[in-house]
Amino acid sequence: MAATVVARGDVSGLENKDFERLAVPLLDGLYNFARWLCGDPDEARDLVQETFLKSLKGFPSFREGTNFRAWMYRILRNTFLTSRTGLERRNTQQEDEEGFEESSVSPETPEIALIRRANTELVQSAIAQLAPAFQEVILLADLEEMKYQEIAEALDIPIGTVMSRLARARKQVREHIVLTLGGRRTVGVK
Amino acid sequence: MTNCEWREKIGLYVDGELEPAAEQAFAGHLQSCADCSAAVLEQQELKKTVRLAAKRFTAPPELYASVQRQMAPKKTRGLWLRASALAASAVLLAVVAFAWISRPSASNATVAQLIDQHVTMLASSNPVDVISSDKHTVKPWFQGKLPFTFNPPELAAGSPFTLIGGKLIYAQQTPGAELVYQVRQHKISVFIFQARDVHGEPPAGNQTFVVNGWQQGGLQYYIVTDAAREDADRLRALLEDANR
Repeated sequence: MAATVVARGDVSGLENKDFERLAVPLLDGLYNFARWLCGDPDEARDLVQETFLKSLKGFPSFREGTNFRAWMYRILRNTFLTSRTGLERRNTQQEDEEGFEESSVSPETPEIALIRRANTELVQSAIAQLAPAFQEVILLADLEEMKYQEIAEALDIPIGTVMSRLARARKQVREHIVLTLGGRRTVGVK
Repeated sequence: MTNCEWREKIGLYVDGELEPAAEQAFAGHLQSCADCSAAVLEQQELKKTVRLAAKRFTAPPELYASVQRQMAPKKTRGLWLRASALAASAVLLAVVAFAWISRPSASNATVAQLIDQHVTMLASSNPVDVISSDKHTVKPWFQGKLPFTFNPPELAAGSPFTLIGGKLIYAQQTPGAELVYQVRQHKISVFIFQARDVHGEPPAGNQTFVVNGWQQGGLQYYIVTDAAREDADRLRALLEDANR
């Protein structure tokens, strides 16, 4: 994917005019992320606009050595979390990180064929059903192709939590696909 | 699998998070562990499937315009005495229109078609028609099938790229070559056509796949991959050198 990460050292001496150059290429990805979080186009649009406003205001204090993309996603996410929808989602969907085994992928994988057969709608449905904490981490890792460190910065969580949430999210997506297409439980899926 | 000491590294390997030495060791382990190989393949398929499905929403043009307006006062500070608000709006509109038009939507039908071809290749159980890592096998395979010729690059020992094979494809009803390379866990498609038949700049900006396009010696080359842009640039340089 086209890199929008600002490498460390690239942000020294930035002025507001540079904000546009750095931020606008992220708009599409931010909007996509916002749509997944909000589930509503109008809310997503407002969220992105607010994110740009806040980040533009905060840009003078943007610190050298900070990952710009992670910074933008962090502002968007924090803004979302304080919104009505964000608060509702946090209150209604508890993340379940207990009892996770690092790799619960089954070695016996005719499931690979099922995953390949999964159509877009099915996978989107699987992503939509994830708890917010899992949804955001899988979007940043698999769609935005952020490194674990970058995700940790964007979500303000430890890398270990990134890894466990990501594994858990993938497990749930996989399970959704396999159960829907295969109609049965598979070895290794709890 | 249950007792395999490597199992906890699978996610790290698929996400490219292992250190080079560990990645190499893990790749070596995969040669002898069918369970881990299957698990890695499954994780890669899942990652790819999620990536394709998750790119679901596209920012509407009015959002681009709105965000641009937010930034405009900062951008035009000090210029307002010299430019009317109308002129500023016109410039802004042009910028927004350019940003919108040059987005990687379906504006470039050729590139969209090639991205589809790349995705089809990724999902196919028979991704190439001629399977060989030897360019002296792959290149002659295209003889008689294409009205042009080209040189796949010589890959030095230790090169991160591996030639997987080639395939005859069609775009805009014109035959072309698709060479498939591998770099780490990513596949790269190189599409080659006669430039007079197939051409066009790849769209700029945010896109799911890296697309790199150029013309050389009357041929149009496109690289499509989900690998890093630097990998695409490096392979492009090798192709350019090989076809000088």
